[in-house]
Amino acid sequence: MRRLQHSLPLALAAGLLTVTVAVDAHHSFTQFDRTREYLQTGTVVRWAFNNPHSWLYLNIADEDGNETLWSFEGSGPVSLINRGITGSTFEPGDTLTFMYCPMIDGRNGGHLGWVRLSDGSFINPSDGGCNGNDANIERWKGWLEQGFTSNVDAEAAGQ
Amino acid sequence: MTSSRLRTAFSTCALLLGALPLAAGAQFGAGYGPPLVTVPPPMEFETSAEHYAWLLEQANGGAEHTFETLPRWDGLWQTAGNTAMDSFVDAPRFEGQVREGVLTPEYEAAYKERWREQIELGEVQYDRLTHCEPQGYPRILLEPYTHEFINLPDQSYFINDFASSIRRIYIGKEHTNIMGTHSWYGDIIGFWDGDRLVTHTVDLLPADFTRWAPMTSNQFESVEVWELKSYEDGTERLEVQVTFYDSYAFVNPVHAVYAYRRAGDLEDAGYRVVHWECELTNNALMDAQGSTTYRLPGEEGFVDPRGYTLFPELPGQSRDPIYNTTLPVE
Repeated sequence: MRRLQHSLPLALAAGLLTVTVAVDAHHSFTQFDRTREYLQTGTVVRWAFNNPHSWLYLNIADEDGNETLWSFEGSGPVSLINRGITGSTFEPGDTLTFMYCPMIDGRNGGHLGWVRLSDGSFINPSDGGCNGNDANIERWKGWLEQGFTSNVDAEAAGQ
Repeated sequence: MTSSRLRTAFSTCALLLGALPLAAGAQFGAGYGPPLVTVPPPMEFETSAEHYAWLLEQANGGAEHTFETLPRWDGLWQTAGNTAMDSFVDAPRFEGQVREGVLTPEYEAAYKERWREQIELGEVQYDRLTHCEPQGYPRILLEPYTHEFINLPDQSYFINDFASSIRRIYIGKEHTNIMGTHSWYGDIIGFWDGDRLVTHTVDLLPADFTRWAPMTSNQFESVEVWELKSYEDGTERLEVQVTFYDSYAFVNPVHAVYAYRRAGDLEDAGYRVVHWECELTNNALMDAQGSTTYRLPGEEGFVDPRGYTLFPELPGQSRDPIYNTTLPVE
């Protein structure tokens, strides 16, 4: 862990040089609606830091407080490590606010865009199924300040 | 790491990410270091066998390396761009048109349909790797995850972490095929020309370059020239100049270069290659419309992505004792 602490900033910088080339996932992303981006909050059940893709499972409460398990796909470990995200970035019980692109068939799942950590920083665990890049994070920061919870609402409001 | 240091690191990460081009389409040649340049052979050859024999003759039968003199390409590597798509699609990238006359009529028609999905629907609807097919050759050349290149005097092993696929190159040997069939990575022979490794690949199963690229036939073959190159700006890349031959798919041989860069950042982060597979962990599948979908927790057929066991009633059968949480499984 000590070695990781010393090397992480350098690893982040070096890894950025190749973030753009490691995106050829083993499957299509047509199952996600990349035109819709939703804000959501949930409690981590499991962070599967897996090849070929990671999965983040969270309990999400409805308006009545009833929790349902939701599943969100992210990039693979190699690409995630390039961005400083590890197998311990999310722990069971963590409460996360995140953006995702929903599954087109409406089931309880989607593809991760960005995630806001408890310290307020944003990270990008996405692969090709949703846009979690820096430009979109910056756009969302403005929308969050104005209380928007989806890109559709924000864009409809002329934002 | 303190939260402030972590925040600083991620802020730096975010700022730099903003300066990078969009990830999609990066396999069209964008990558790491100076632009990649395809260098075709000085003459055209009718077959890959003629091409390989000519290179072997130019190298006077090839060099005999020992463990002490072999070029070493140890460690983890990641892809660093390629020019393969340049032969098949005119710029600009995913908005371009299929270049006519490169593929044979049957393969061109099939590729145009694949490319139509890419352009009109934004994505090729299904990837054959979704259900855990091996990537095969030539796709292994550009698959992400990690690559390893292990050179021994009599063999080289080129390993891709995607479901742990291995290309074995038999140095100084002739082709053999005692099983009488083709395979995902074929039969590969090679020789050393100084510090350059020249290979010849035959007896392949039909595959593709990637899901948005042309399909290949069972007559697809290649000649590769591998070389570790250093550039004035400090870039170090392992590059392979490739000529692809396919009497069913190509009108003429196709040339491309693929590159790899050292993945020191992964090694520093403690990343190690461990075996993984799809059979026990995969929930992706083709839907009734021929597109891609998933089984989710609680649905029939869902498997824990960390692996399931047929003997859950026995103690110690969890496939994930470190994390030790469970997901609902039907």
